[in-house]
Amino acid sequence: MTTLRAFTCSLTVPQYGIPFYLQYLAHWPEYFIVAEAPGGELMGYIMGKAEGSVAREDWHGHVTALSVAPEFRRLGLAAKLMDMLEEISERKGGFFVDLFVRVSNQVAVSMYKQLGYSVYRTVIEYYSASNGDPDEDAYDMRKALSRDTEKRSIIPLPHPVRPEDIE
Amino acid sequence: MAARGHVQDPNDRRLRPIYDYLDNGNNKMAIQQADKLLKKHKDLHCAKVLKAIGLQRTGKQDEAFTLAQEVATLEPTDDNSLQALTILYREMHRPELVTKLYEAAVKKVPLSEEYHSHLFMAYARVGEYKKMQQAISAQDEKLAQTMFLPLAERMVEKMVKEEKIEAEAEVQLYFMILERLGKCEEALEVIRGPLGEKLTSELQSRESKCMMLYQRLQRWPEGNALASKLLLKNPDDWQFYSCYFDSLFHLIDQSWTEEGEGFHLAMTFVEDRIKAEDQKETRQLRGPYLGRLELIHRLRERGCPEEAQLGEPWDLMTQYFSQFGDKPCCITDLKLYLHLMPPEQHLKFIRGLGEAVPLGGESEEEGGSVFPEDTKALQRHLCVCQLSRALGLHHALSPEGKLRVIRDLKAHYHHGLKFGATALKTELQFSDMYCLMAAHVYVDLWKETGEESMAWQGIGLLQEGLSHSPSNAQFKLLLLLLYCHLGAFEPVVDLYSSLDAKHVQHDTIGYLLTRYAEPLGQFAAASQSCNFTLRFFHSNQKDTSEYIIQAYKYGAFEKIPEFIALRSRLNQSLHFAQVRTERMLLDLFLEADIVLSLEESVKSMSLTPEEDDIPWDTLRDNRDLTVLTSWDPRDRWEHRRASMEEECLWLRMRSLTLRLLAALTALGRAHQQQNSLGSENGVGDKASVAARLFSQLEQALQSAACLSEKRSQYPFLGPPSTRLAAALACGSCQCQTSALQLTVHLQELETMGLDESTELQTRICNTFKSLVIQLQEMSNKCNGDLLEMKDSRLKTQPSLLENLVFFLETMSVVLWVASQCAKVIRPLKASLQKKKKKKKDTNTATPAVVCGFQVLTGGLQEVLSQVLEHIKTQELGLTALKLASLTLEPHTQEEESFIRAGMDKVHSSYLRSLQELGDLLKRRAETLKTLKI
Repeated sequence: MTTLRAFTCSLTVPQYGIPFYLQYLAHWPEYFIVAEAPGGELMGYIMGKAEGSVAREDWHGHVTALSVAPEFRRLGLAAKLMDMLEEISERKGGFFVDLFVRVSNQVAVSMYKQLGYSVYRTVIEYYSASNGDPDEDAYDMRKALSRDTEKRSIIPLPHPVRPEDIE
Repeated sequence: MAARGHVQDPNDRRLRPIYDYLDNGNNKMAIQQADKLLKKHKDLHCAKVLKAIGLQRTGKQDEAFTLAQEVATLEPTDDNSLQALTILYREMHRPELVTKLYEAAVKKVPLSEEYHSHLFMAYARVGEYKKMQQAISAQDEKLAQTMFLPLAERMVEKMVKEEKIEAEAEVQLYFMILERLGKCEEALEVIRGPLGEKLTSELQSRESKCMMLYQRLQRWPEGNALASKLLLKNPDDWQFYSCYFDSLFHLIDQSWTEEGEGFHLAMTFVEDRIKAEDQKETRQLRGPYLGRLELIHRLRERGCPEEAQLGEPWDLMTQYFSQFGDKPCCITDLKLYLHLMPPEQHLKFIRGLGEAVPLGGESEEEGGSVFPEDTKALQRHLCVCQLSRALGLHHALSPEGKLRVIRDLKAHYHHGLKFGATALKTELQFSDMYCLMAAHVYVDLWKETGEESMAWQGIGLLQEGLSHSPSNAQFKLLLLLLYCHLGAFEPVVDLYSSLDAKHVQHDTIGYLLTRYAEPLGQFAAASQSCNFTLRFFHSNQKDTSEYIIQAYKYGAFEKIPEFIALRSRLNQSLHFAQVRTERMLLDLFLEADIVLSLEESVKSMSLTPEEDDIPWDTLRDNRDLTVLTSWDPRDRWEHRRASMEEECLWLRMRSLTLRLLAALTALGRAHQQQNSLGSENGVGDKASVAARLFSQLEQALQSAACLSEKRSQYPFLGPPSTRLAAALACGSCQCQTSALQLTVHLQELETMGLDESTELQTRICNTFKSLVIQLQEMSNKCNGDLLEMKDSRLKTQPSLLENLVFFLETMSVVLWVASQCAKVIRPLKASLQKKKKKKKDTNTATPAVVCGFQVLTGGLQEVLSQVLEHIKTQELGLTALKLASLTLEPHTQEEESFIRAGMDKVHSSYLRSLQELGDLLKRRAETLKTLKI
């Protein structure tokens, strides 16, 4: 049991810098949803945006961040938040929803698969690492929305791409 | 900056190379190029501004500013100059100058829409909303309520009638206008009508807006119907349970519904939701079950016996546990309703739950405990442990009982590690909470018995926990607090930086650092943490403004008031004000009269006695006082107010001290002015400012004394207490206040001269004497061993370290005052001697105040060398201390190594603090030597 509501600045979500959040709030306020516990604790949040072009049939919703606090895991909250983001993207007439995830993050990858996402392509060295570790690849995962009746948007690319090649 | 202009103007071509140099960071060449250009085209103002940008970026701020002002006073209207000046002012952090610039431009070219728009944005940046309204509409000075909003309303209404409203943002704006005008009925009509259908982006946006309006309009029947409808749709949406109960109870209160009937309705509603949930096979939602507990809570608050029909709280919570006990959030949920059980049921409740936890027969030690066989069972067991702590069952145990609890928790912790054997470094261990809780019980024992070994064992355990779970923030936070309470800040630096505190957290948890760094004698670390924090606050002032503008552009109008609220929340932060003040004091303690003179230091900080930059009436407490996990029963909430009061008082004393120090530096100058200009006026003003500040400081000191008498101790995990009590106890406040009173006396002496001020001189001399005595007493309070090894036990006295810091601070203040004394008295003495020579006065007796001054410096020297000697002895003692020879109580080898590592950290931290203190005091001793009249 959760209170789901639009994100407001009175909450403190410290993962990224304030400008980053404000930028999203200024452009896509509807894509920023938080979940609060009955005691007022922040359970988790999702943040995303709409981008692409309708003409090229790549107008879509994008998941920028999804985060659930450790003590509120295993409640299906992430699925609920993803569901809401998909619903918003449906309303905007998007063709699909996509997201990037670290190749090594098996827990997340399998969760997204369960939610109906599939790997569309691999992006080489998308995550830059600090302290000398090698940069890490990302999966670009997608799920088609109802507008893409033939599910053309999620046909996997045969080859990996480089970060500079993605739009 | 390079992407500019469309029509090629010859000046653009001439300026291009300068822009390029600036863009490439080649500031020197940019300056040269600008100089070249200016030789040929003297009135190419933009070149001047670009040169100023180059100067600014090479650290020549003063030159840059002068040059920029040359252009600005001409009130330029060409695009190039305006844009360049805007960039320059932004880099100078002077956005208010941009508004002046465009105000002038708009006056000269009133028809330029572009300049109006720039002016609007400039106002948005500095937050002058009233002026923003003027910038977009007429010059009328009426309030939004009477003019702008109604105007906006009429404009939008017209659009509605002409069916011109199309975009969602426009509907939203219309709604906001009506809502702000208090026209809730009309707003409701818009939301429920065809225009409301356009609000599609945000999920449930129409519903939540309706609900908000029903509440404001007190339309409870509709509110209740909507809440019930939404709960039928999603019985897990918690916010609507409150709406449902609230509205229903209002209906009862207003006799819409008969009381019994109303309660019955609520109970049936909740029980129906539960029945529906019970019938589900998978993933039951927690909402309905928790809703029932919430209803009991609310009925009980109203004194309704009907609540009994819903069941016994302990029984319902037991059921809840059997359904959701394996979820980590079960404790968070139940904690809210534990108060529904009478204390005599607590044990029964916990025992009942304990029996429901499936523990395997596996026993690793003889007579030992049985352990959970999988993570779900572990989670259940952990939940029971957490509940019993939250019910205060741990707290009620005897010390032996507590030690048994610790043993048990540790055994479960170690056993549970096997479930996370393959966990990544970034993941937490399943059993981490056991470890944390055991550490909490150690803290209880330490505080209860005063037995310091409990603190060491707690530290050891947490260090061990961290080795298995390196990203556990709770371990780090509790360790941080333990080290600080033991007087060791050095280990905290790494702990805090590994917490990776970001952004807003500098405001919300930064208090943990700033409270301890400087007071524990780690000045370098203190400077650094202040810098981080200030950088965050300053950059946010800029950032939020930018995004307010963006939100206007993208039509996210609802976000604008939020962004503005965020900005004021940060600007009015108590922590921000504290860090600003402490940073300046710290700079003075570290540098004034050592690197720079006090006067120069004060000047470089643009510190003036007249100016108070703290928004006292609107200060906000943004501290996150719940950042540390605590199961202690309802402890921390009540302390926030008392703590805030104390923090404000301490801040007031610190800020007054700072401003009085600024007033102090005006002394010597006043004398020069008086001699050269004979201006009595300026001096008089300064005198009254200092006297006013001093009487405020005295008042604050009095309130502080009162407050510390009635002050209650905060719990270990509550807000940290300020330094106030310790500062009073060691005499630091009192001594600094006496020293600062001399600022007022010296001003009087300056005007009176030496020959006609016998009484005043006696008073000053008495203060001199008393300062030496007070400092001597403070020095006595520093005596003793910081770290002692006795009977194979380690004993720390962190208060001695804090007292040393107070001594350093107070000695610095006294020395600054003394140095200003010398500056004031020296010319007075000279002029007295001149006068005497003229009169052929044979009375060669030295004026009292001069004698007194010599006594003062002599006394200070003596105290200072005592303290330096003490620090040296302490350093030697600490270095010689062989911690390795300490025999610890029986522990496993692993445990012992973690405890020893903790001890070594504290030991090393003490040494560093002593070294930093010793170095600073030595430098103060140097300045003391030069103090002569």
